[in-house]
Amino acid sequence: MGPDKSLLRTKEDNKVKRAPILLEMATGTLGTYSPSQSLERRHQQQKRTDFQEVDWARSDGRNFHQCRPAFLRTGAASSASGSAYAEFGSTKVIVSVFGPRESKKAMLYSDVGRLNCHVTYTTFSTPIRGQGFEHKEYSSMLHKALEGAIMLETFPKTTVDIFALVLESGGGDLPVIISCASLAIADAGIMMYDLVSAVSLSCFGKNMVIDPTSEEEACQDGSLMITYMPSRNEVTQFTLTGEWPTARINEAMELCLDACSKLADILRSCLKDNASELTA
Amino acid sequence: MSAGEENIATPGEILGDSSQFIAGKGTYLAPNGRNIHASLTGQRRLVPPPPDSAEKRLTVEVVGHKTRGAVPEPGVVVIARVTRVMARMASADIMCVESKAVKEKFTGIIRQQDVRATEIDKVDMYQSFRPGDIVKAEVLSLGDARAYYLSTAKNELGVVSAQSIAGATMVPISWTDMQCPSTGQVEKRKVAKVL
Repeated sequence: MGPDKSLLRTKEDNKVKRAPILLEMATGTLGTYSPSQSLERRHQQQKRTDFQEVDWARSDGRNFHQCRPAFLRTGAASSASGSAYAEFGSTKVIVSVFGPRESKKAMLYSDVGRLNCHVTYTTFSTPIRGQGFEHKEYSSMLHKALEGAIMLETFPKTTVDIFALVLESGGGDLPVIISCASLAIADAGIMMYDLVSAVSLSCFGKNMVIDPTSEEEACQDGSLMITYMPSRNEVTQFTLTGEWPTARINEAMELCLDACSKLADILRSCLKDNASELTA
Repeated sequence: MSAGEENIATPGEILGDSSQFIAGKGTYLAPNGRNIHASLTGQRRLVPPPPDSAEKRLTVEVVGHKTRGAVPEPGVVVIARVTRVMARMASADIMCVESKAVKEKFTGIIRQQDVRATEIDKVDMYQSFRPGDIVKAEVLSLGDARAYYLSTAKNELGVVSAQSIAGATMVPISWTDMQCPSTGQVEKRKVAKVL
């Protein structure tokens, strides 16, 4: 008896089954759906074709190679060892650092310090209210970005806990979280090799747009995020996703590194302002 | 912009060259061996070399505005409260490191052989410490995953303050005895000689 052809999936079956999942990923929400799916899909297609054109205006009036203005403050949470608040456009993040404090009894002995990172989104951080959740992938990426910058051997056997809370997610969340976290760690008095600044960049076919907002991120072809220690000229994390024309990667890297250096100057001046406020 | 602001260093900032300065507290030498970078946020300070050394270079330090919370390190004197007393060791919660209080307690243990310097195999833990005593101890080592190893094997280390069974704060009368002021009862402890 030959194979039962009725069980084999045809190409049409696959196409129909895949469409709703793509829509969910594109709108970036979890667990919600709108009744008129076809209308939203047409909106997305329209946006995508808009972004493919050579010249289009960004929603906040910036040009392609301009980052959002940054507002940074340290000492936001007084009960923590160190904390910082960052606002980049509509992305608002608060990071608090606790430590060095005793590791849990279950942990094995380690002669270098441990870093414990948590990135949580509030229920009101996305345009459509969702459930507050811990973003495990961002938590692990934050850990990788910071572990190269902190002198772990200065606090053996103890743990430093870093809690990042995203109050509003307006695009480019992870770079803002990383920069804000390095500011909070410096505020906590934990010894570091250098401040870490992070910038992300989106690729739309021929165009490259730095520091994307959430609508731009949703329609991007590829993204690049670099976390950089400027005084030592070292990159702690390099994340490249999506479709990239090979020739543009180098140019994108240069743009990102330049933006990271400028952002690091802003981070330093914020630390100095807050430090002189304490003594004054 | 005050003059003090120019002196504030942030982590990673280059403070000087290794040919002119030595890296002191809060700074580190770059891997290439040439630059000295700050590792904390704070005031940049120059310390002259000790007069009798051959070293001519000044030491550059960063004195932290907000130094990180205190952490026990081998060799420092800590103040701890005894939580449990067992046959061969006593468990204590470290509350102060040198003169700084910790934000969250660390766990330490005092082993039988570290209670005093003489006749260490004849030590009775129940006659040296009781739960609730405040002791001054020295950190011997980082210990294991669960606790730091503490020692009271010096004259100035040991029980600093204790409560009697009656509930009053006892008065030390010798290096092994403390007396309750209200009942006159004498209890045995390993007393610290506080000068």
